[in-house]
Amino acid sequence: MREALNQWNFVIAAYVIGVGGTTAMALWSWLAMCRAEARRAKSREL
Amino acid sequence: MTDRARLKPKHQRLVLVAIALGALIGAALLAAWGLRNQASYFYVPSDIAAHPPEAGRAVRLGGMVERGSIKTAADGVTIDFIVGDGKARVPVRYRGIVPSLFVEGSGVVADGAIEPDGTFRAETLLAKHDEKYVPRELKDMTAAQARAAVAQTR
Amino acid sequence: MHGYANPARFLRIARWLTPALLAGGGVLAAAALAWGLLRVPPDRLMGETVRILFIHVPAAWLALAGWSTIALASIAELVWRHPLAGIAARAAAVPGAGFTAICLASGSIWARPTWGTWWVWDGRLTSFLILLFLYLGYIALADAAQRNGGQGGGRVAAIFGIVGAINIPIINRSVVWWNSLHQPASITMGKSSIDGAFLWPLLAAALGFSLLFGGIVLARMRTLLADIQTEARLRRRAFESDVPGLAA
Repeated sequence: MREALNQWNFVIAAYVIGVGGTTAMALWSWLAMCRAEARRAKSREL
Repeated sequence: MTDRARLKPKHQRLVLVAIALGALIGAALLAAWGLRNQASYFYVPSDIAAHPPEAGRAVRLGGMVERGSIKTAADGVTIDFIVGDGKARVPVRYRGIVPSLFVEGSGVVADGAIEPDGTFRAETLLAKHDEKYVPRELKDMTAAQARAAVAQTR
Repeated sequence: MHGYANPARFLRIARWLTPALLAGGGVLAAAALAWGLLRVPPDRLMGETVRILFIHVPAAWLALAGWSTIALASIAELVWRHPLAGIAARAAAVPGAGFTAICLASGSIWARPTWGTWWVWDGRLTSFLILLFLYLGYIALADAAQRNGGQGGGRVAAIFGIVGAINIPIINRSVVWWNSLHQPASITMGKSSIDGAFLWPLLAAALGFSLLFGGIVLARMRTLLADIQTEARLRRRAFESDVPGLAA
């Protein structure tokens, strides 16, 4: 008896994790950078 | 501060880091050498032939499924096949569902124990993939045709 | 080399390079993944699951590249006291850990339909899991050092970054030194046993993800740099208001 799994389920799961994780990292680091640079600009104005 | 005096501590730190790196690499190589047998995931058939484990002790066997050796028993779920590594061969019996990549001429890793009659009774079966990636369309060509096709795409 | 250590000069370049890398890498990676998902033929043995290659392998390369960045920047920090080196080392930690996690997760998903198991404790998988723990330890150490604001803490993180690099060659050689369920390397020094139908989308995806990685590292560097500058300015102001004579 041979195992028969739906291969596409595994492919989709891996792509969701890979694409989602990378997008989350890029977005989070970009937003954190904008916040930090805004804080620096504010500290200069004071 | 003269230029000479300013460079000195920098070089000192460089030498220090280089020595530390050398010691680190040496220690790691030593550890890896010490682990070379313990850290292996499975034994190959020639290991089993050289140091046969006592019957019933749990061992993990890995190797190639010999071409033409897979035989399905009458019940449809028990299979017999031979695992070889080019130097030794071990007959294996397994009962259950095999992974879809379990094919003749491909790698396999089995958990189980040697029976008194010398057969390896596998409890679980894992398929081992090799490092080659080949599209399905190329599979049916002869080896020479496939090489030519691959060479063209390079 | 020290020309680029000047934070002002770094910021002048990073200001346009960060969005350029993120946008370019995003487009290239998306195109490569769409190619891999829709146009690539199934593998002779693995079938459709071969497409996970385009996520798993770039993530693995970048996980190793991330720690190499930490180690090299840490050496530059310790030896040359390069002002931006410590920031670069810390900036590579979060994306490095992220790609390590993606590599482990996608590898586990790939292992189930191919090997028949989600996880085994062989040399390659175990050493890669250790890499994830090293990243988490480094991030905790570097964060604690920044919160204390002292120089000594940063040096401890740098030493940890250099010592941890010993895991990189172990990961690379694990499939050669020890029998493992993971297959040996497909691409070695100018030779590849991956068919062109898989190789080209793989290289495109790897380049796209590398650009994204570079963009994330630059964004992290700018974040850390801005935090340090804000804190220094606030501290100076607090000091000046404590000593009224200085404020004039």
